[in-house]
Amino acid sequence: MSQDTSPIFGNLNWNVTPYTDLLRDVNSSTIIGAGAASVLVLGAIATLALLTYMRWWGPLYRNWLTSPDAKKIGIMYIVLGLVMLARGVIEGFVIRAQQATALGTLTQEHKVGLVAPDHFAQLFSTHGTIMIFFVAMPLLIGLINFVLPQQLGARDMAFPVLNQVSLGLTAAGAGLVMISLLIGQFGTGGWTMYPPYTGIDFSPGEGVDYWLWAILISGMGSTLTGMNFAVTIFKERAPGMHFMRMPLFCWTSLCVAIMLIYAMPALTVSSGMLMLDRYAGFHFFTNAAGGNMMNYANIFWMFGHPEVYILVLPAFGVFSEISSTYSGKRLYGYTSLVIASMSIAVISFTVWLHHFFTMGQSAGVNIAFGIATMIIGIPTGVKIYDWMATMWRGRVRITAPIVYLTGFFLLFVIGGLSGIILANPSIDYQVHNTTFLVAHFHNVIIPGVLYGMLAGIHYWFPKAFGFRLDETWGRRTAFLFVGGFVFTFLPLYVLGLMGMPRRSPTFQNPDFMPWMYIAAFGAVLMLCALTSLFWTFFTSYRNRMALAVPGGDPWNGSTLEWSTPAPVPEWTFPRIPYVAARDDWGERKRAGDPWKAPQQYCDIEMPANTAHGLLIAGAAFALGFAAIWHIWWLVILSFLAIPGVLALRGMRVIEPKVISAAEVRETDQRFRHLATTLAPITRAEEESERNRGVPDISEFAG
Amino acid sequence: MTKPNTGELSPEQGAREEIKSYAVGFVASLLLTAGAFVAVLSDLPSTIAIVLICVAALLQIITHLRNFLHLSFSGNQSREDLLLVLFSAALLTIMAGGTWYIMSDLSARMHGTPGTSAMPHDAANH
Repeated sequence: MSQDTSPIFGNLNWNVTPYTDLLRDVNSSTIIGAGAASVLVLGAIATLALLTYMRWWGPLYRNWLTSPDAKKIGIMYIVLGLVMLARGVIEGFVIRAQQATALGTLTQEHKVGLVAPDHFAQLFSTHGTIMIFFVAMPLLIGLINFVLPQQLGARDMAFPVLNQVSLGLTAAGAGLVMISLLIGQFGTGGWTMYPPYTGIDFSPGEGVDYWLWAILISGMGSTLTGMNFAVTIFKERAPGMHFMRMPLFCWTSLCVAIMLIYAMPALTVSSGMLMLDRYAGFHFFTNAAGGNMMNYANIFWMFGHPEVYILVLPAFGVFSEISSTYSGKRLYGYTSLVIASMSIAVISFTVWLHHFFTMGQSAGVNIAFGIATMIIGIPTGVKIYDWMATMWRGRVRITAPIVYLTGFFLLFVIGGLSGIILANPSIDYQVHNTTFLVAHFHNVIIPGVLYGMLAGIHYWFPKAFGFRLDETWGRRTAFLFVGGFVFTFLPLYVLGLMGMPRRSPTFQNPDFMPWMYIAAFGAVLMLCALTSLFWTFFTSYRNRMALAVPGGDPWNGSTLEWSTPAPVPEWTFPRIPYVAARDDWGERKRAGDPWKAPQQYCDIEMPANTAHGLLIAGAAFALGFAAIWHIWWLVILSFLAIPGVLALRGMRVIEPKVISAAEVRETDQRFRHLATTLAPITRAEEESERNRGVPDISEFAG
Repeated sequence: MTKPNTGELSPEQGAREEIKSYAVGFVASLLLTAGAFVAVLSDLPSTIAIVLICVAALLQIITHLRNFLHLSFSGNQSREDLLLVLFSAALLTIMAGGTWYIMSDLSARMHGTPGTSAMPHDAANH
């Protein structure tokens, strides 16, 4: 770190970009570094140019960035998640390409493989950080934001503006990670950033600070989101929507909310303590002055393990919904699924030590947590059986979500099983820190989280945009993700058992090579899957007239969100429904004439648009960036700006937006009329262009 | 908008008591925070100082829950509030107790730390 910190620019100077490294020494590593930075810069320029050329700035600002509508916030979360997914998958590809070309590079003086070891360490650190915090979290939070209020029969989240702030904070964190491509370097301590390596003595410079600020800021956002979800579920349910009438996706959202509230603070505390160590000379995690670095692992995983279930439970909710809808059957074992979800939520707080079995505690402690870990497999197993029983003897339509679900069945069970194996401390001692572990957690997170979220996006996409996604391309994407996973990660189990350490930029054993090539081939398939995913969106958009489902119920669903038009209006329900049964929309179909209009309409109050979230996000980003580069004047300014913005909003009288009863009546009557005129389609015709979103309700048996 | 089912009072009815409750909470929190600082700065033995800080922290948590978050064990929300407190207490016990369990075990197995005399048998193997 340079000694002279400029009072205006802090530690920033012209030597922090990857272009400087490229000028100094041209090799594959610096080319990749500069290339990634260029993609970021060109992508940003292209986006700005497109927005300007299409005159989208105004609509973007008015309709999206300042909107407190949970549905739009959800969509923005998902867009953020998908953008970050692209970067994460490409990084994963570079990691696999590196290891496929890394045999014996240790002994050669000037050959470093595809990227330099330090660059490789940045790659796996950003890959992990991005995939967990800026892909999985935004995808699931976005999906919950979009779906939860609609399923509960609510118009919006309990705190719409807070929701906006949460999104802003998450985006600010993601922005910090993104800008680390261009300005400075990211940390090299892996996504967990264990001290003492990440302490100021061993990792001076901006790298670890990028991680800390990104995590701290987005973590705050996630905590606030959790509170928002919990209050929404407790207070905003439609009349008659008892807890045991809630769709399962709402139940898993409740579990997620509880876990976010209780687990995220642990992460905030551990990163806050590491921050104090690095910035203020504290000794929480150093060897000197009574610090104990092992407590970092302890606190971090106190968050880290519930986090795993935060990620996977929404996917479990999605699978509950789609297994029932696409097999035309009622969900099997509703109560057992509820109990299993809640058990997972609570037990997940009692297993965190299995992430550091080898840290040196005595066998008794390890065994206690090993047993707890094995126990958590039981409720998860119950769920798998419930979904299979739901599909049993149903008329299952093999749509893209069902391909994801079957892929999940086959692969997640393998991942769960290797988890049970790893829960045995004596086995963990053998394979910890090898690619066996890498294979295990990818094996639960990709089929669990990624497949679940993509299935959910495919399932609810028509509700958001009014047209279905192309089934053929959707299925191709799903198959590519399944195949890509199998080829990339199953070889890593073998490599791990052969002794290949994780995070290694090089190795000496030629026996690894065949497996490395298979894994690299799998990584190519994953890239194809990513491309195919974006192509699905693009081709469906081009074909949107043929795929339009204005009737709003393209899959003959049974939960409340399918009772509204597609795309769903801002106010969601013209009148808050009275819920009389579990799967209320299905019950109304069974009773006949589900599209009956409400008897009267009244004015609807919606939260007014506000730039509050944007301002907070801007201040939080500036705070993080300034603190990373020690630009102290900006730190002080942006730190004061946040309470300033809050106070300003607190002092203003804010009028809600009122939508008149006449407008609601007109829109709603038009939809009811449309629903009666469109030709109902049977489930067999669901994929054809005759699907206008009005199902044949005589076929409804669910 | 649907009618809130939270048993909220109308603003006029509750405003006076609300402000009073917030003010009491604010002053109490300030005093408890200052108390913790006094405990550190004073010449008290460190054990007593730590106990005092912990007590001040617990009292401050209670103040926040009562005065700012309106938790109460009477009224039509008491059942939900009680469940919330019990659940939080259970999770915090797991976290704090687990940390105690893990970190004291680790500390007992470290060389050269107080308490190494109680080193378990299996750690002395090598």
